[in-house]
Amino acid sequence: MSNKNGEKINGNANNIEVWEDIVSVKDLLFSIIICLVSTMLAYSIAPDDSSSGMLYGIIGAVVGFVICSIIFKPKRKLTIIDEEK
Amino acid sequence: MDISLIFEMIAASAIATVLYTIIGIAPGTDETAVIAPVTMILVLAGMEPIVLLSFFISAIVAHKLTDSIPVAIAGIPGGVMSAPMVDHAMVLKKHGLPDITIRKMASGSVIGTIISVPLSIIFASMIVPWGDQIASYSNQIFFAGAIFLALTMKNRWLALASIVPFALLIQGLRHLYWGIGAVPEDTTVFTSFFLGITIGPLILRLFELLNKDIRSKLPNKTVNEITIKTQKKIKGFPSPFKILNKSESLTSLITSITGVFTFFMSPAGMTVLVGETITSRIKNPVKRASRAIAGMESFANSAYIAGILVPLIAIGIPLSPTALGPGMALFNAPPVFTEENNLHHLLSMNEFVIASVIGAVIAIAFTYYITIKYSEQICTFVFKYVPHEALLGLLLSIVLLLAYMDAGLINIGGILLFGLVSGMMHRWGVSYGVQFMTMYAAPWIVSLLI
Repeated sequence: MSNKNGEKINGNANNIEVWEDIVSVKDLLFSIIICLVSTMLAYSIAPDDSSSGMLYGIIGAVVGFVICSIIFKPKRKLTIIDEEK
Repeated sequence: MDISLIFEMIAASAIATVLYTIIGIAPGTDETAVIAPVTMILVLAGMEPIVLLSFFISAIVAHKLTDSIPVAIAGIPGGVMSAPMVDHAMVLKKHGLPDITIRKMASGSVIGTIISVPLSIIFASMIVPWGDQIASYSNQIFFAGAIFLALTMKNRWLALASIVPFALLIQGLRHLYWGIGAVPEDTTVFTSFFLGITIGPLILRLFELLNKDIRSKLPNKTVNEITIKTQKKIKGFPSPFKILNKSESLTSLITSITGVFTFFMSPAGMTVLVGETITSRIKNPVKRASRAIAGMESFANSAYIAGILVPLIAIGIPLSPTALGPGMALFNAPPVFTEENNLHHLLSMNEFVIASVIGAVIAIAFTYYITIKYSEQICTFVFKYVPHEALLGLLLSIVLLLAYMDAGLINIGGILLFGLVSGMMHRWGVSYGVQFMTMYAAPWIVSLLI
């Protein structure tokens, strides 16, 4: 897929809008799976007292988030206009 | 009061500020979900009540300020409270001004904080004599609040008609969990339902993606084109009154004062109402959106601070959505705090003042500075490196984790059901505010129907 200038962009026709931004359905599905698995894994290894389960779980969710951020590219095209020029 | 205690308060505030500045920037971090559990852990660990209050005030101020960042740059509500601002932020984003959004929001936040801390304390001390009486009518107040908010909506009859069915859904799930023993009978599932309302629209959309017909009708886009205009750098310590123009400053002042007196209303619902009221006569979309954003943010901040301080100082039971949500642990965290023995009973007026001021000043000074100075860098970084898919995955995982912790595996299904209904209601125009108020009043509403 390429835009008017012929340069490659991160997108294909299957991208859709979810909550005000563009996502690829496939990447979204994998992101949800990755985050859920990492969250539940972290939760399951938490020591058996009432307060640390949530902390482990949240750390797990953040780890999943970081992994997804590395493997998936944002479907945004950023243009920066310098006003001061 | 001895010096070491003051030092402890400052340290606790500083930690809360840094922690919640980072957490707040991460989109999708619901206030209740991220502040309530940490506060609960600190309460149970035996932290001094006054230090606890400083920590909590810093946490809500810092989080409230930084959760405006994801709204401004990605249109994702950073929490329930920033959800009402999405539409206005999107207008500014479309015009390439997401960093202006952040600066205006941050300035509104500062005004809200400066006004609401002293005003809440004064207001609370005025209503102390009636505190017990007010406390005995909390259910009626929440129910009336839901009806009032419903009547202010565009689709008012729809909103009104949905109150009882929604209350039935909430109580129906709770009674199911009690009946099959998923939770003990004295535990009321709350946090996960609260979050279910927040991400209802997302759950609904995810279900829709499974439907081929709906999926093929959604507009196909390849990329989201975003333009950022670089802004002149602000030198020195930025004054909120320089960032906001005169009418925006005035609007923020007025909405901050309103926020204190409506502390018992759902802040999210009221924020919508305030936003609509203050902008109804402005035609220019950019001006309209900036005024709305500054005014709504100052209102939200003020309502949040009043929502915790007024019930704590005057009433002693969590009679505001803020107190019922993120601040719950300050009222009720057995065995440390109970309704007969919590911060309301343990702290004197002077201690309330000192703890609130220390907490608010430290949080606002640090977070405001960072937000104003580096909003553009933050924007660029998040746009370039943070995929939307990862954020949605993170948000959904946290909600499902909390759902699981609240009532086990069955509650995952429960939250999906709950999110479907609340997401549909939200799409039809029944705001978060009506849904929250209904949730608080649900046990009482259902008891009326028997």
